Order: sequence, then structure tokens, then C-alpha cells
Amino acid sequence: MTHVTLQYYAQLREQAGASSEQVSTGAGNLRELYDELRTRHGFSLPIDALKVAVNAQFSDWSRVLVEGDTVVFIPPVAGG
Amino acid sequence: MSRFTITADDVDLAQLREDLMHPGSGGFCSFEGWVRNNNEGREVSGLEYEAYTELCMAEGERIVAEAIERYGVLAAHCLHRVGELKIGDIAVWIGACAAHRDEAFRACRYIIDEIKHRLPIWKKEHYLEGDTAWVACSHTERAHEMEPPHRHDRHEGHSPAHEHGHHGSTTVAFTPDYSRQTRLRDVGDIGQAKLSAARVLVIGAGGLGCPVISYLAGAGVGTLGVVDGDVLDASNLHRQVMYDARDVGRRKVDLAARRVAALNPTIAVQTYAEPLHAGTIADVFAHYDLVVECTDDLASRYLANDAAVLTGTPLILASVYQYEGQLQVVSSIPGEPCLRCLWPVQPAPGLAGSCVESGVLGPVPGVLGTMQAMEALKLLLGLPRANDHALQLVNLLDGSSQRLPIDAAGGCALHGGCVAVARRAIASAQGQRDIDRTFARLHDAIAAGYAIIDVRDAEEIAVQPLPVDSLCVPAALVAAGTVELIEGRVLLVCASGKRSGHAARLLRQRGVEAYSLAGGLTALSMGAET
Repeated sequence: MTHVTLQYYAQLREQAGASSEQVSTGAGNLRELYDELRTRHGFSLPIDALKVAVNAQFSDWSRVLVEGDTVVFIPPVAGG
Repeated sequence: MSRFTITADDVDLAQLREDLMHPGSGGFCSFEGWVRNNNEGREVSGLEYEAYTELCMAEGERIVAEAIERYGVLAAHCLHRVGELKIGDIAVWIGACAAHRDEAFRACRYIIDEIKHRLPIWKKEHYLEGDTAWVACSHTERAHEMEPPHRHDRHEGHSPAHEHGHHGSTTVAFTPDYSRQTRLRDVGDIGQAKLSAARVLVIGAGGLGCPVISYLAGAGVGTLGVVDGDVLDASNLHRQVMYDARDVGRRKVDLAARRVAALNPTIAVQTYAEPLHAGTIADVFAHYDLVVECTDDLASRYLANDAAVLTGTPLILASVYQYEGQLQVVSSIPGEPCLRCLWPVQPAPGLAGSCVESGVLGPVPGVLGTMQAMEALKLLLGLPRANDHALQLVNLLDGSSQRLPIDAAGGCALHGGCVAVARRAIASAQGQRDIDRTFARLHDAIAAGYAIIDVRDAEEIAVQPLPVDSLCVPAALVAAGTVELIEGRVLLVCASGKRSGHAARLLRQRGVEAYSLAGGLTALSMGAET
């Protein structure tokens, strides 16, 4: 299991009910992690609508999770 | 019939009113100027008006015509008495009828102010003490001078030549005092001169646009362009702090121009009362040094990005969601990332929350718009800026902010570079403009041979069913490609025109002759079909 810190923005924050959380996950990469979270929190956004950043850098969804990573999920927002 | 009368006869009020009756009027407003029994502390027994009639007739006609044009009223008339009048007599009568009351009120006010100001009419007051005096009938205060010019061409395109107004600069003698900012070593008189020479286009005069417009006008940015196709709604007031409750229903571009004129009359404001489109946006951008995108519309943001990249114009983007926001500065310098480097394709409208659907707290666009204004001033003044090109995320609940650097090499560079990507996108957007169709009533669309497809969700349809026969296919199903039965010429309909536009584009790719109702159901004539 890998321990990571998650941060959510916009719709994801709303659906998760929190801006951040710490999780232990068996997911190997970011894509698997999001799929896992999608099931748990009922996220409505598909993965290709999102951006993901790890440790303050935008990242590829295939990136392998490393113990202690901080992962940020960012949906597009349109309000003005 | 003449719209201006000068007469020594008694006034037939009923006739004047009847002459203005018009079936399209929802409001009639009249003003009567009466002879009062005192002036400047002296008791008056009566008065005498004397006019240079020929000049009065021509100028009076002109004034009424101006009011009709300016406020779009249906009809107006002005009558001015001459000769001897006694206390309580009507000296001036003005009437205006219009579709809505506001225009009628304003037209009346305009006519009386201009009559007082411009007509060669003198009045001789007879005082109780027996003496008389000639009094000039001119006033200097004209309420409409603080308003931006009114035009009633809402459906026309707007080239930069349209609606140009140096609002207020002709009437208010005001010398701005920029000392608080020129005192900054990095600004100084040289910086102030840069601001004065700068031309900035602000797209969207809403929650983000209000602080942007206000701060840039206050700072003395010489020319401000303002784009907004909307009228003010009461639900805007909690976050759009340039506007007042009494402004509801009026065009935001006019209100914004009025606000700038009141704040800093030295600023030239150019207004665009229709959203920019793919055909003209690059030409408009070419007139500006910098663009600030402040709409709540993803399509507008992508279009602005593409035009900025093509014209080499820096662009400041921001958007908000509930309690947080995102900010990105696109430098439009080759090799530096654009919006599409981060989000290559415009997300489907349903995926990005809007203020209408998701809610927003007023200060959130206030903060993000203020950050946009700050970025704009930094760029114009050449102040130090962050070295990286990043997406900045701001969460106003927990106070956190983080910058995520955008790697240009992993973006448009993989698809031929930002300019090539932007050129393709603009060309495609121009082709897709053909998708929008405007109708006052859905019956008109059916008469024109369109089959109606309602792409709203079942709950929305239950609340507001269409008054015509339609096929119900939610936008999500169109997007999922599960619809095979659609053929012939179809008009897709949703609440705002966004989902139907997106769905129509998808159907086009599958060979369906699909169109989208421009502006959605909200753009239909109210009550026209019931």
C-alpha cells in the first residue's frame, strides 16, 4: 500500500466533501488511483476532462505512485 | 406629423395624449412644465414666452428625433407655449411612449433638458410688484450627459468603429491624480505614460470584469474596450459591484461605460454589445495591446486564446468555481504555453461548472478579477513577474494558493505549435458559426422545415415543456453517440444554446444536418408561443 495526500478542486472537492485527504492505496498509477476514487466518491467527471499534478508538477496519468506523493486533481472551471 | 409644436393657443391634453397612442406601447410618460408663482424668491403673477420660431421649430424637431433614436421610443411629441401665460398654465408638454417605461421616462427627461438648453426661447416674468424681467431658459445640468450613448442595434455586428464613446470627457473637467501609484519607483511618470498609451480589451463585464474594468480605469489605462452581450440581471448584483439595483435590464456594456466615465472621465471606452466571433475576433484584438478574458463561457475563453496566439496579444485568463478560482497568463510569445497547451480541447459545457448551476460567493470573482487586473498592470508596466508559466489555483476557503508550471513542450508543440493549433481552431469555429440559428418562436423553426430536438434533461423538460412537438434526446446521449434515428434537418434546443450547440457539432460530424437554437429557450420571445 502507498500512502499519498490528495487535494481536490472545484466539482471534485464538492463531490468528495473535502479539499484534501490522506489515503492508503493499492493503485499502481494515477489512472488507477482516480478510478478507485471515482468509485468511492462518485466523481462524475471522466478522467480525460481532468488535469492531475503530483508534488506541484503537472503529470501523466500513467505516472507510478510513490510513497508520500501529494496528488492534485484539477477540473476545468468556467464561472466568471 | 410634426413632432414639435410651438403655439400661443391653449393645450388640448387629451388630444396630445391620444396622438401618441401606439399598440406596441407598454408605457407612456408625459411631462408638464407649469408656470409657478415664484422664481428666485420673487412672487410671479404670470409670464410671457418669446421664441425665435423658425429656429425653435428646426431645433425642437431635431431634439425629439434625437430622443426617439437615442432611447428607441415608439413616438414622442413636444409642445411649447409662447405668449402670455398665467400661474398654473402649462408652458411645456412632452409625451413619449415606448415598449417599456424606462425608455419613455428617459426620453421625456432628455427632451425637456435639451429644450431648456438649446431652444432660443426667452421668458419675461411679471412680478407681483409690477415690474418684469427677461429670464434665459437655459439650464446647464443635463442628466443624460452622464449616460453612455444609446443605440438600438443589439443585433448588429460591432466593428471597432461602432459605439465609440469618449464618455464624459467632454462634460467633466477632471484631472486625475495618479500620485499614489506614480510614487512607486517602478511606476513613476514613465509608467503612467505607458498606462495612458495602453489599450486593453476586457471580454465580459461580469464578476471578473467589474474589478478588472474598475482598477484599469482607475489606474489610467487610456483605452478600454468592453465586450458583453448581456443585460444586467438582479442575480448578478452580489458579485458585479459596478452596478446598481436600478440598472437591472440594461446592457452591461452601457453600464460599464457609464461607470468608467464616472470613475475616470479621461478614459476612452469602446463597447462591443455582441460577443466576439471567430470571423472578427482577430481584427478586434489587433486594436489592443492586451486582452483580459472575464466571461463565464468556455467557448469564449478558447476563442480568445486562439485569437491572442494568432495576433501575438497577451491574454489574462481566469475562471471561478464556488469558493476557488484558476488564473493563467498567456504571453502569446512563441515557445511559451497557451490555454490549449494545458487543456487541448474545449470540455463539453456540462463538465465545467458555471455560476448559474454551481453557485458562487461574490468575493471569489472579486479576488480573481483583482488578480487579473494586477497581472494586466504588471504586463503593461513591465513590472517583475513570476518566471514560470503556470496555472495558479486559489482556494479561498482554506486560503491556499499553488502554482503549477505548464510545460510548453508537452502541449501544442506536439501538434505543430500554438499558432498552427490556433489557426485550425479558429477556422473550425468559423465553420461552426453556421450551426447557430435564431428564431423568435419555435413555431417559426418548424414552419421553416426544422424538426425540433430537445436535448435538455427530463427534469428540465418537466419544469418547462416545449410548446411544440419535439423529440427528446438528452445531450449526454447525443455525446455518447447512442442516437441513430436522427435524420433530416434538425434544430437542437436547450436552455442556453450551449449544450445544443455542442450536440449539434457532434451530430454534424456524423453527417446529420444539425443546427442549434442560438441563445436557447431563454432567447425566444417571451410568451410568444402560448
